[in-house]
Amino acid sequence: MVNLTINGKQVAVEKDATIYDAAKACGIKIPILCHDKKLHPFGGCRMCLVEVEQMKGRLIPACTTPVTEGMIVQTTTDEIVKARKLVLELLLLKHPIDCPVCDAAGDCDLQNLTYEYKVNMNRFVDEKFNHEIDYENPLIERDMNRCIHCGKCARICDEIVSYGAYTFINRGIEAKMGTEFDGPLNCEFCGSCVSVCPVGALNSRPFKFKARWWALQKTKSVCSYCGTGCQLTLGSKDGKVLTTIYDENQGFHNGQLCTRGRFGYQFVNSDKRLTTPLVRKNGKLQEATWEEALAEVTSRLSAGKSDPASVAALATPRLTNEELFLLEKVFRGTIGTDNIDHSAGFAHEALTKGAVASFGVAASPSEIADIQKSNLLLVVKSDAYETHPVIGFEINLGVKRKGVAIRIVSDKKGKLTRLPGAKTTVHTPGSEVALFNALCKSVIDQGLVAEGVAGLDALKAAVADATAEKAGVTAEEIAAIAKDYATAEKALIILPIGLGYPGHNAALASAAGNLAILTGKIGKEGSGLLIMGEKNNSQGAVDMGIYPKGTGLAASAIIDGCANGNVKTLFVAGENPVVSYPNRKKVEKALENVEFMVVADLFLTETAALADVVLPACSFAEKNGTYTSLGRRVQNVRKAIPAVGLAKSDFEILSAISQALGGARYNNQGEVFTEIAATVPAYKGLSQAGLKDEGAVYPVSVAAKLVPVQAKAVAPAAGKLAMVTGSALYHCGTMSRFGEGPMYVCPDAYAELNVADASALKIAEGDQVTVTSATGAVQVAAKVGKRVPQGVVFSPYHFGEGSVNTITDGAEVTYVTVAKK
Amino acid sequence: MSNAPAEEIPAEEIDLTEANEVIDKYLTLPGNLMPVLQGIQEAYGYVPKPTIDLVAERLNVYPSQIYGVLTFYAQFHLKPRGRFIIRVCVGTACHVQGAERITETFFGRLGIGHAETTEDLRYTFEKVACLGACGMAPLAMVNDDTFGKMTVQKVDEIIETYNARPMK
Repeated sequence: MVNLTINGKQVAVEKDATIYDAAKACGIKIPILCHDKKLHPFGGCRMCLVEVEQMKGRLIPACTTPVTEGMIVQTTTDEIVKARKLVLELLLLKHPIDCPVCDAAGDCDLQNLTYEYKVNMNRFVDEKFNHEIDYENPLIERDMNRCIHCGKCARICDEIVSYGAYTFINRGIEAKMGTEFDGPLNCEFCGSCVSVCPVGALNSRPFKFKARWWALQKTKSVCSYCGTGCQLTLGSKDGKVLTTIYDENQGFHNGQLCTRGRFGYQFVNSDKRLTTPLVRKNGKLQEATWEEALAEVTSRLSAGKSDPASVAALATPRLTNEELFLLEKVFRGTIGTDNIDHSAGFAHEALTKGAVASFGVAASPSEIADIQKSNLLLVVKSDAYETHPVIGFEINLGVKRKGVAIRIVSDKKGKLTRLPGAKTTVHTPGSEVALFNALCKSVIDQGLVAEGVAGLDALKAAVADATAEKAGVTAEEIAAIAKDYATAEKALIILPIGLGYPGHNAALASAAGNLAILTGKIGKEGSGLLIMGEKNNSQGAVDMGIYPKGTGLAASAIIDGCANGNVKTLFVAGENPVVSYPNRKKVEKALENVEFMVVADLFLTETAALADVVLPACSFAEKNGTYTSLGRRVQNVRKAIPAVGLAKSDFEILSAISQALGGARYNNQGEVFTEIAATVPAYKGLSQAGLKDEGAVYPVSVAAKLVPVQAKAVAPAAGKLAMVTGSALYHCGTMSRFGEGPMYVCPDAYAELNVADASALKIAEGDQVTVTSATGAVQVAAKVGKRVPQGVVFSPYHFGEGSVNTITDGAEVTYVTVAKK
Repeated sequence: MSNAPAEEIPAEEIDLTEANEVIDKYLTLPGNLMPVLQGIQEAYGYVPKPTIDLVAERLNVYPSQIYGVLTFYAQFHLKPRGRFIIRVCVGTACHVQGAERITETFFGRLGIGHAETTEDLRYTFEKVACLGACGMAPLAMVNDDTFGKMTVQKVDEIIETYNARPMK
């Protein structure tokens, strides 16, 4: 610790702290424009000038000067104030005073400091900038006339996002913040630059002219897209969510968000929202009252009580824990059916079967915080960035700041492969388990097994014939990864799961678990296995028991049951099996066939269109509750706006059903959480109030065990391309299709091909192509690049039109032919 | 004030062999971006856009950052340069000796302005701050040849001389 005095106050701080940090620690505010706690010190704006007794004769920038023992610092003297005023005058010389029409007004550091330092005149005169405003993209407006050259956008894009869209271009007075060839912005559109811009140079276009900053009601909540569990602040006015507000103190991610989190909120107030219940009359869905709709639903479910096996429920892991708990209680408890599932059944198996077998818990043994504490990350699929972009930022930070080594095993390259020191091993699609078995074998062969690992012989026997060739990689690559992984002091395996990844199943979770257990990388900080659930409450859905536990039907069996008449009543809460479950035709046929289907959803989805009763549900912005993110963090979701139209939350819907069926009664969702805390062991001792803003990570006790798994043989089909599905960076599930932001950037389904395959097939970027598999054919646009290796096609699954599940059937890899339309 | 529109860089197909050779040479050198860009400029006479993408890919540097470096240093050029680089000094001594008239005459004769290149790629014209030979003001240079005590008549003589020179 270093001791220093600031404005007469004694303060002790870490030796790598700066004067700015030390002042902050003792509650003294030093004005800043270019400094950001997430970024490396820059020292560009000169607002943070202070006086240091030991460095008399000049003013010292507080944000870049490290503290030294006995330093005596003054932060506001007449001379300092004069210097800061000068800085502001010089900035205002170029900065236009167009605050009345600037969206940053009220949230503008320059405006606030100008006010604070009473800069009401300027001694200098000069022309303003006359840069053209970049309106080329639909999400981020770049008005470089307002830019004060703090460089934060370029630094965040480099240091955290690792995209590098911005740079200072030109020199001297002509210098400005620009892009490659000074062209329009063309990037991932995560909006990190907008969030840190201290002025109105970078603006969110969807929010432009929507509301003054001070008129917004601010509600702290949790993002409802992926499983990362990013906290966000919703800005709402007149019952509408108008923007997300950046708060650098929120969450492990310090307010960082991705495109969907930052710009994808528009689905909440989408015109397409269902606002009234619909009941099928004469073959057509027609508007109905809640009484009418619920009466029909409860009479069907009540009749189902006498034949519980004929009733089934599919729930989306986007619902809150309270809603899922209640759903489980109504169906498993009151009605008595075990036919409950979510995410097509396979997308949660890595947790509910794999993790249970290997670690004795249906959750990740590791947390998000382990990423930066690790020495080596072994990432399964480069997609970890696409599925969970903010986890991607954590990985970037770990690799670039903390020197964490990164190894990627994937069926294609991705953004993570460009990180410094990253080594990517591209394997045959669908051979992940074979690859992990080969790694285990290599660890054993190289004598790197940790001491005292039980069940080694069984694993040895199981992986005896595991070879690198079976995964389509060289023995040297396997040996190198195995050695790097086993010899790293702390190593973490990152495994994304979800509807786009049928291969990321129980077997893969156990195969990865085996490698971790074999090398003693379990139960240590910075080590273990992080299984990343796809949806905002994927972990919660598992915790609340939304999967068949006894003889109940799993999702695919429920679909089959609908087709063969065994399932007569199907309750769908927010799931969209028609687009997201494998084999669309089969699912559609089954859902058309089922006697009675009720769908509660925000939108009239492809599935809801087939229902007998459609109930308008509430979005995350219209309800209270909790979500559990992939690191087992339970967080509060808070109501920001009243329900849209006549929509009711799934809690209200299920509560009404529960009462009508003579089940449990709850006055509010808070009571359900109290019951969760009392009955779900992991949630013991938690309370919604106790979660506060930061949430709580529930502990797990891991009982690690080697679980030998056999790799399925990958049988490439001659003359066909191996199609793998997954997530597009801008989307999550099928809900992001209703957010303007993600749809502006990535509106349609596509198939991504290698340049060599594309040129052999005479396909150019943007061409419409027909992708045909044994299951069906679909028309999508072609994307051509070097990211996917030769012989592989990648297609994201989110879209209704040209939905990729038309041609998949649940296998790890779908063999297809691609032809120009 | 910088109100110049984004430079129009024409799409071009070029042979990247030489650029690859330059990158190979410096690949393992720390801080290799500057020597690589200088090597590329030496090989091509300027830094063609496709080589920027190549350098970005092979050195794992953001293309934006490369563009930042290229626009920061006056030594780099993003457009093809003329066979003959005419530089006219407009420093203090040359200015008082009427450098303005010399530059204006060049502009008129060649139909190009400052930092521009004739369509036939024969001439690139540049105003420079000082060439360090104030005793000869006003001063002009064509590549490495120096012309002191410049006059409007001499401009025509220079153009005539270099028009007769071969392009290669």
